[in-house]
Amino acid sequence: MASFLAQRLFAALLTILVTTVAVSMLIHLVPGDPVQIMYAQSQGTTPEQLEEVRARLGLDQPLMVQYIQYMGRVLQGDLGRTIRGDQPVLELLLARLPNTLILATSALVIACAIGLVCGFVAAYRRGTWLDTLLMTSAILGVSMPHFWLGLILLFYFAVHLQWLPVAGSGAANLVLPAVTLGVTNAAIIARLTRSSMIDVFDQEFIRTAYAKGLPRALVLYRHALRAGLVPIVTMIGLQFTYMMGGAIVVENVFGWNGVGRMAIQAIFQRDYPLIQGFILMFAVVVVLVSVLMDLLYAWLDPRIRNR
Amino acid sequence: MSATKSIEAPNDEPATRPAPVLEVRDLCTEFRTKAGVGRAVDGVSFTLHEGEILAIVGESGSGKSVTSLSIMGLIPDPPGRIAGGSVTYGGRDLTRLDEKALQKLRGNEIAMIFQEPMTSLNPVLSIGRQMTEGIRQHTGMSEAEARKHAVEMMRRVSIPAPEKRLGEYPHQFSGGMLQRIMIAIAMSCSPRVLIADEPTTALDVTIQAQILELMRDLRATTGASIMLITHDMGVVAEMADRVVVMYAGRKVEEGRVEDIFARPRHPYTRGLLAALPVLGTAGEVGGTQLNEIPGVVPALTDLPNGCRFSDRCALSTDKCLAEDPPFADRVGAHSAACWHSDRLAPTMEATS
Repeated sequence: MASFLAQRLFAALLTILVTTVAVSMLIHLVPGDPVQIMYAQSQGTTPEQLEEVRARLGLDQPLMVQYIQYMGRVLQGDLGRTIRGDQPVLELLLARLPNTLILATSALVIACAIGLVCGFVAAYRRGTWLDTLLMTSAILGVSMPHFWLGLILLFYFAVHLQWLPVAGSGAANLVLPAVTLGVTNAAIIARLTRSSMIDVFDQEFIRTAYAKGLPRALVLYRHALRAGLVPIVTMIGLQFTYMMGGAIVVENVFGWNGVGRMAIQAIFQRDYPLIQGFILMFAVVVVLVSVLMDLLYAWLDPRIRNR
Repeated sequence: MSATKSIEAPNDEPATRPAPVLEVRDLCTEFRTKAGVGRAVDGVSFTLHEGEILAIVGESGSGKSVTSLSIMGLIPDPPGRIAGGSVTYGGRDLTRLDEKALQKLRGNEIAMIFQEPMTSLNPVLSIGRQMTEGIRQHTGMSEAEARKHAVEMMRRVSIPAPEKRLGEYPHQFSGGMLQRIMIAIAMSCSPRVLIADEPTTALDVTIQAQILELMRDLRATTGASIMLITHDMGVVAEMADRVVVMYAGRKVEEGRVEDIFARPRHPYTRGLLAALPVLGTAGEVGGTQLNEIPGVVPALTDLPNGCRFSDRCALSTDKCLAEDPPFADRVGAHSAACWHSDRLAPTMEATS
């Protein structure tokens, strides 16, 4: 268990390290002079001012030095200041991050509730009309783009029925974006749950459990679900990171005030420090979640726990 | 493995025949497949008596495992179903019992162990949990009492440090130890019938002998009847009191183990015996070669007319191809389903 954990943590740190390299070099991937592009929308910047910005961002230094300087700042919690408004990037991001996490978590809860139940039922009733119905719905769910489903829900529930607000960041505003994000991901979880459970139902230990005279509910709950959950948990971890990504789109559709919406604005405004900060923070969240999922995986599967 | 066996029963029919525990009559179990409906078990009858070890023998696909699952009511439906016949236990026909009633019997009065101990236990549940859940289900013991009983059962199947091992998981055990655990689980509610489906096939030869020994001990101490399913005539010789030979879903021969080995009355049984390696001869220069039965068991959806064994049988005649031989049932005695039983020569052991 300890070596498993150490291995995962090492992989996590390595991932973040590689991300910092990519992020710090991001600015050079833009064709042309990054400083000119950044300030292209600003009126009346003199060449001296641009030179000053260049020096402030360290862009006149060799790449190696630039990276070391960047890491030095990042390790002190300084992600730079935004081009527009000259605000500290970290503060801006941290102020918005909880909103995105709330959205992604609510969506995950919805996705798991729908996905696990539908997948389990489809597997248990495999080959019946119910299975076909559930899995056809799942294909529809997987195929629907977030922004499209979001707009449909928005139009129907907020504009037509007027049950829910169109945009904003209150509790009632959470419902539509969470459902949008949840439903599309529920479909993926349902499909995976179905195949994982079908796999488990065919295992010999399920037959052993029945041969012991255990009631069906106990066999399904204790023996099948517990064993089938192991691969599903890994998948759900991945789903959470997809949802963080999906949140970028959904936040924009519903005007939800999270980091995703801010990132899109930053991209439109060529606000490089903010974009860099966003990518780095996103990477850290994704890595943290995957480490958490590994822990959960190990807890569920004794073959890993006791290694 | 030698084919000699300490003869426990006298050669003549015992005056007080042990009482029947489990009676299978004309059992038919069907499976629906894409190729059509296949009868995996087709009109099989046999009786398991008090305290006896009955071996059900046959190749893969002969229907022996399906027979045992039918008795347990564990045929997956769909695609399978019991299409006819009866399984009488304790005055009740198990094929007509509902799921609740079957649950009370399974693991309690009729227990079962399987071929692959490694995959027959749940990898994510502790051994303790998997041992106590059945005990609690059938006895109403508390968790603490059930654990005590589980430890006792583990001692009986010679598992060292049972208290410690209770908290461990299947992957921390060897195959032989897991089969001991399976046996401990199966015996934990003192069943009257133990169905052992190829219990030693997946194990090393030395471990095989230990597991068979353990099963014999348990039979002696608990008086349980054992239905031993195997394809290994060596195991049959060592364990069984009586033998039922199955082929393509039918019973083709039945009799006491001594009779079957000395004078098989069905060419298929004869073939199985000939396929048994004789210690010290096979592989040597000039030694006897291992014999095999040519061909394979026919597909259940594509059975030959007449005798099902006719296409693999050296004694096959036109009559065999045209007419299905009936099972000449001489109750309790040695009988077979073959037109040419009398043409079969005794085995080597009987002649030498």
